[in-house]
Amino acid sequence: MAEKAPDSIDLSAFPAQSIDDVVVPVPSEVFNVLDKLGNPKWRAEISENLGKQTGNRSQVALLLGNVIAEGFIAVEAEDPEKVKEIGRRVLTLSKAINVEKAVLERSKSITDKADVKDWHAVRREFDGALQDVKGAMQELGDDDLAQLVSVGGWIRGTHVLTSIVSKNYTSESAELLHQPALLDFFSNKLASLSNRRLSNEPLVQRIRKLLKAIRPLIGNGDGSSIPHEHVKRIHQLTGETVEAITIKGS
Amino acid sequence: MKKTVAILFSALLAGTAWAYVDDALSFAYEAAHPYVKQGFSVREDAWGGDLGVADRQAVQAQLFKGNEYWFCLGTDVKRAVLSVNIYDSKGKLVNSESLKPGRMTAVRIVPERTGSYYAIVTVHKSPEERTGWALVYAYR
Repeated sequence: MAEKAPDSIDLSAFPAQSIDDVVVPVPSEVFNVLDKLGNPKWRAEISENLGKQTGNRSQVALLLGNVIAEGFIAVEAEDPEKVKEIGRRVLTLSKAINVEKAVLERSKSITDKADVKDWHAVRREFDGALQDVKGAMQELGDDDLAQLVSVGGWIRGTHVLTSIVSKNYTSESAELLHQPALLDFFSNKLASLSNRRLSNEPLVQRIRKLLKAIRPLIGNGDGSSIPHEHVKRIHQLTGETVEAITIKGS
Repeated sequence: MKKTVAILFSALLAGTAWAYVDDALSFAYEAAHPYVKQGFSVREDAWGGDLGVADRQAVQAQLFKGNEYWFCLGTDVKRAVLSVNIYDSKGKLVNSESLKPGRMTAVRIVPERTGSYYAIVTVHKSPEERTGWALVYAYR
């Protein structure tokens, strides 16, 4: 018979290989909490600029993650035209890195569901698009690029999250930024990219520095308070990086 | 360990060891089915592997206060008994509700804090030397 689960365990007793990579939350999980925290002015958070693509694969992957995150903001703002524009942009960017097939159906579905304003379904499609793109890249043996899509989405997601939290700061809403395992996971992934050329890209190096700068700002232990100043600083840092991804390109 | 469903499907086609997980995956989704009816969204990712009897595996997850989660575990091995329990970053059990260990089981968590949590998968009993398992989670 199965024994009762112990009330506490020593996590350090698990050999390193038996502790899996961190389960990266899908953006919907964060937006779900934000929905419950109040009614932010989402339209003000939408970025008009969906970014230029430079032809540099790392920039395109980061931009793709960024644009998918933008899709969630447009869904929250219930802006069908913007959602459709983003759906088309996701397709274009996916084509640039050979994963268009993986998101073709999603893109169509995003448009169809935005037309009927089924926002819950559109959100699910954006979650799915992110997973499909990453899955397709991993299938192509391009795990490095798949990580950059995740990181790009996380940076834009964190940028908007800090904007919303800052505008109506409470320690409870700021707690959403306490994601140490996720930051460490992204930092480790970017530190061990197998593609040396990709690893040396100025934009990738910049993001390594960003993650390192944010890490001390998000609280030490679970439940520790994240001051308003830290939220503002994270917003500034992620904003500068979003600009580099979308405008400057490197 | 972590793979997207797309990878799992491709692994199935390739006939790799991931077939273990593919076979288990449908049971994990079946375990999650009741919660979909309650308005939970199931992640399209899955996590899995294979374990010997009495072996444990930890899957680390970032969970958010304000959400409610069900972690659902399944195996295709008949008469296998598995459990999943959730611990916080200090190793304290934080299950809010859990189903009986078995071939399909699930645990609910309502995080009191945003942060890192560990889903501990244990194979208690199995007629097989290695038992494939798959874990999915749902949130609302």
